[in-house]
Amino acid sequence: MRAELTAVDFANRHLRFGWWSLLVFAVLGLTLESLHGFKVRAYLDASNDTRRLMWTLAHAHGTALAIIHVAFGLMLRVAPDAAARDARTISISLIAASVLLPGGFFLGGVTTYGGDPGLGVLLVPVGAAALLWAIFSIARGIRTSRARSAETPSRR
Amino acid sequence: MTRDRAFFLGILVVSLAAGLWAFARRDRVVPEARVTGRPIQLEGDGYVSSQTCQACHPSQYASWHRSYHRTMTQVATPETVVARFDGVLEQRGREIWAQFPDPDRSQSEVGVHSDSSQSGLGVKSDSSQSRDDRLQVRRQVVMTTGSHHQQIYWYATGNSRMLGQLPMIWLTADRKWIPRRAALMAPPPTNTLHAFSETGAWNGVCVACHTTNGRPAFDTPFGSQSVTTQTADTTAVEFGIACESCHGPAAEHIARNRNPWRRYSLHVSGAADATIVQPRRLDAARGSQVCGQCHSSWEFSDRQGERHANARGLPYRPGDELAATRLIVQPTANLDSPRMKELLAGDPGFVRDLFWSDGMVRATGREYNGLIESPCFRHAKDEARKLSCFSCHTMHKTADDARPLDEWADDQLAPHAHENDACAQCHANSRQHSHHRADSAGSACYNCHMPYTTYGLLKTIRSHQISSPSVQASLDTGRPNACNLCHLDRTLAWTADALNQWYGTPKPALDPGDNDAQQVAASLLWLLRGDAGQRAIVAQSMGWRPAQQASAQGWLQPYLALLQTDSYDAVRYIASRSLSTLPEFRRGQLPRGLAPLLINADGSFDAPTVDRLVRQRNTRRVIYRE
Repeated sequence: MRAELTAVDFANRHLRFGWWSLLVFAVLGLTLESLHGFKVRAYLDASNDTRRLMWTLAHAHGTALAIIHVAFGLMLRVAPDAAARDARTISISLIAASVLLPGGFFLGGVTTYGGDPGLGVLLVPVGAAALLWAIFSIARGIRTSRARSAETPSRR
Repeated sequence: MTRDRAFFLGILVVSLAAGLWAFARRDRVVPEARVTGRPIQLEGDGYVSSQTCQACHPSQYASWHRSYHRTMTQVATPETVVARFDGVLEQRGREIWAQFPDPDRSQSEVGVHSDSSQSGLGVKSDSSQSRDDRLQVRRQVVMTTGSHHQQIYWYATGNSRMLGQLPMIWLTADRKWIPRRAALMAPPPTNTLHAFSETGAWNGVCVACHTTNGRPAFDTPFGSQSVTTQTADTTAVEFGIACESCHGPAAEHIARNRNPWRRYSLHVSGAADATIVQPRRLDAARGSQVCGQCHSSWEFSDRQGERHANARGLPYRPGDELAATRLIVQPTANLDSPRMKELLAGDPGFVRDLFWSDGMVRATGREYNGLIESPCFRHAKDEARKLSCFSCHTMHKTADDARPLDEWADDQLAPHAHENDACAQCHANSRQHSHHRADSAGSACYNCHMPYTTYGLLKTIRSHQISSPSVQASLDTGRPNACNLCHLDRTLAWTADALNQWYGTPKPALDPGDNDAQQVAASLLWLLRGDAGQRAIVAQSMGWRPAQQASAQGWLQPYLALLQTDSYDAVRYIASRSLSTLPEFRRGQLPRGLAPLLINADGSFDAPTVDRLVRQRNTRRVIYRE
């Protein structure tokens, strides 16, 4: 039986995931810039407009989510109680969002149908739902945590 | 007030002032519906315009946007005008203006008396022009036609949305102005004072093919009254030949495909979308009719159809049977039809000016007429292998086409259509068949089967009626054959012998009384005694590199120089252009003793024969209805 993870464990997990994720999507960004630099037709031709949009979205969402992971990790260190109740669900949702959202955009750009992305884009709404759930849970956790703090008499 | 507050207030005031200045200097775009003096673009009739198509079909939009179909009709702006602003056109802000002799009104008509020899077009006037009492007018140029080879300019007449045509046109490659009349293959005017007016032509004729769903909206049938009194509220969904010209009105397609489930079902299944026409998915005949709606010679089936078109535009929509709403002129099939007889009674040159006497189309822009007469179309038993426009052309550059868009846009040919691959889709490609070196121009299928015998826009283009070289056809119709258009130094008899030897083609009986046909190079016979159309075709061939390489060297310049005195402007222009492709002529380089080229043994020309052939010249009035 696995030991219950503490807030510090979750914080470390998300800091680790966030920074590695940031590295991956920063590399993707650099790759996309290189495709621009070398004028690669498979990326820049008008016929690949949808691919360009999808991969740009993959880069943008991946990077933004990586920063969210880092912020969430830091938040757990500063205020461990904030996400104590749903920490596991939030963690899984955030990681799922980080994989599904940019992954869906990226796969959607691999094969395109004119102005429509490929079927991989179907992962995007699932990832978006996971992200929204995580954000909602964090927001709710902070509210509950503040309420709990207010009920608890000050030690000073 | 503290210093900080004053500082921030200062920044606020400066920002506001900068914003107001930028707002005041913004380009004021007049909504199209409020534009007066020219035709306008209005959506309707189920059309939505290319702007809507762009979002879902970016690739197709991009290649169309680079095509000359798009730029066929444009609102005149400093960006769309390709001509130099060198005296003919004048730029005033975003507007283009020109001063020129009014083709529709003379000074005497309006009671003005002044020296009209000063041309506002910056053109030197000759004595005949100085007698012209056309009223000098200054008009705003509002629309353009074309850009690839030529650009024509249209001005606001001040009468409703009726346009007049500037009497000068711009030649894109040469970067120079020429008189509009000189750009047409037509006999020189018998009366130089006669004005060349094209007023109303845009609203009544051009609008049909140079816009998307054009509606002339004349008050009375076009031509039923003077253009100065007739009015037109002409509109089009879009200027230029846009997406819906070929795919049909797309409003339903747009509405139905807002549903992503529907879109992805179609993507995954590969099924055709019934809400839009894909010409390539139609059968060869019906698909080609989409191109044929404009690239054909046709007339209204009856007066009622004409009146309807004059008011509300043409009823044809892509996917329809083209012949259901118009008469496609096909001399081999419908010359004796009642409607054709009616048309010929009113206009005897109607067929003659467009077709060779055997029914092959001779004017450019009528490629569909060539297609439907081609054996690859008429006799194809397998529908999948039937010749269509799309056998060689593609309206959107394909992903596997490595050529830049500019190169593709020139002829909109499919990647495989540049070489023999286009024909090799059905025909075996063998050197034995061509009897020419494999890497030579003579081994290119289209040089023999699609020779440059169609004329338009001051040049010859390939015939789009697939045919085999035939001396008999040359004798019967006067149309130069592919062999003699390349082997300019050879006689018809030589060609007849070669075709007989290689393909068993029966030798035609050359007129025994016509020694010239036996002894003089066919190109010279067409050039010296042919009609203006034949002279233009040969003049162009003399500037064609493969023909220069296949024929003896050093003799072309004098004959092209002879055409510099031709009475047809178009012939002179083409001869001059061909001459510019040749090195400077030196008398000593002239080959000696070439009787078919009328060159004597001492290197002098056989002047008596040249003179005799010129005196025999066919002087019939040649008009190409381009």
